[in-house]
Amino acid sequence: MDLSLGYISTLWPALLRGLGETLTLFCLTLVLSLPLGLPVALGSISRFWPIRVLSRIYVWLFRGTPLMLQLFFFYYGLGIMATSYDMPILRLGRFPAVVLTFALNYAAYFAEIYRAGIQSIDRGQYEAAKTLGFTRIRTMFKIIIPQTIRRIIPPVSNETITLVKDTALANVIAVPELLKVAKDAANRDTNPTAYLLAAVCYLAITFVLTLVYQKLEKRFSRHEQEAV
Amino acid sequence: MNNHIVELLDIHKCYGDVVALDGVTLKVDRGEHVAIIGSSGSGKSTLLRCINHLEVIDRGTIRINGSALAETHNGGVRYRKEAAIRQLILQTAMVFQHFNLFGHLTCLDNITIAPVDIKKEDPREVRERAMDLLRMVGLESKAKAYPSQLSGGQKQRVAIARALAMRPSILLFDEPTSALDPEITGEVLRVIRDLAAQGYTMVLVTHEMGFARDVADRIVFMDQGKIIEEGHPDQVFDSPASERLGLFLQPVS
Repeated sequence: MDLSLGYISTLWPALLRGLGETLTLFCLTLVLSLPLGLPVALGSISRFWPIRVLSRIYVWLFRGTPLMLQLFFFYYGLGIMATSYDMPILRLGRFPAVVLTFALNYAAYFAEIYRAGIQSIDRGQYEAAKTLGFTRIRTMFKIIIPQTIRRIIPPVSNETITLVKDTALANVIAVPELLKVAKDAANRDTNPTAYLLAAVCYLAITFVLTLVYQKLEKRFSRHEQEAV
Repeated sequence: MNNHIVELLDIHKCYGDVVALDGVTLKVDRGEHVAIIGSSGSGKSTLLRCINHLEVIDRGTIRINGSALAETHNGGVRYRKEAAIRQLILQTAMVFQHFNLFGHLTCLDNITIAPVDIKKEDPREVRERAMDLLRMVGLESKAKAYPSQLSGGQKQRVAIARALAMRPSILLFDEPTSALDPEITGEVLRVIRDLAAQGYTMVLVTHEMGFARDVADRIVFMDQGKIIEEGHPDQVFDSPASERLGLFLQPVS
């Protein structure tokens, strides 16, 4: 271990690049999977059974297999298929493969959180909306979903924090994210300090996220105050 | 053309093996106040909820202002298309036992959302009307409050204002005071009584016998999915013709 400022400053530039890669991966995954979860959630409670079955199979596949296996499939597996079927479009770069895998995987988890949130809303809300002339779709978007937001913030925040750490899996297909950079530095210098610095980075990210979600929770509970 | 706001003809409905409605016929005239009484499980709430399609019937005919919502067809029932049903039930408005106010909206927004979003009325005009209604139910000061900040009686009064803002031709009350503490049912009953005096057509399912007698022009007594007896409150309460109604009323008298 070498915690001298001199040594740490030699590690920083590479670690910062890795941190950038990790944050990009994290943000892209969230930006894609948070919205994608909604159609999957609505599909899994659809009255039309083929859509319901498809949505549930999707969730089952992505929650039921290891994220690392999915990563291998979308990077190596599709690469092999690209060669054997002569379909170069299947060959994804490392980074796109990771973003695609993570987005699809996290969408499945978010879909389940959304579905549970939607189903936790009292039937009376649907009935009141119906008697007031709301269509089913309008009821969902104007009445039900707005009321689920506060309830789903805690599980979504949990999932998001898991994602921060899951981004480290990208190092198995050699994406230069934070853990990969730290590992390379530690091996090169035979010195574990880089791991320590990477840990500090992860902790900083999750700390900031915790604060953000606390704020959000407070903002969305303004209509759940106690009687005055 | 008759003057019935609501016609329910020979309504049948089962939940699995349980018969909820067994050939019920009920017609409500313009300006009439009908109270449906009966023990729990008698089918009175189910009947009320058939009027605005919250329950789907197995057989029978339902007309609102002369226009069919559902009609007997080949021994079963044929409902109108979803969009047509939606338009028809806009002529009704329901006040629920558990209020069912939208938790994410203020009282004012609870009242204005449907007229503005669904009926596409002028937002400013709707807002003024909503404030008038809040004033009428004595909750003007709660316009900006959320439902969670109100007492049960206050919630129900907002729910009544929300129903009135739709300008329905009939008001349906589904046990409007059953979820309230006894000492605050009065404030809700007072509002309903005022509406009756203003000439609103209403069907009320209730356990408040004194109130039913006071406010209704006609009492309908249901038991086991059937209408056993109906008539003027004095006649129904003072000289019940059937043994079952007599038994039902006993604890009250």
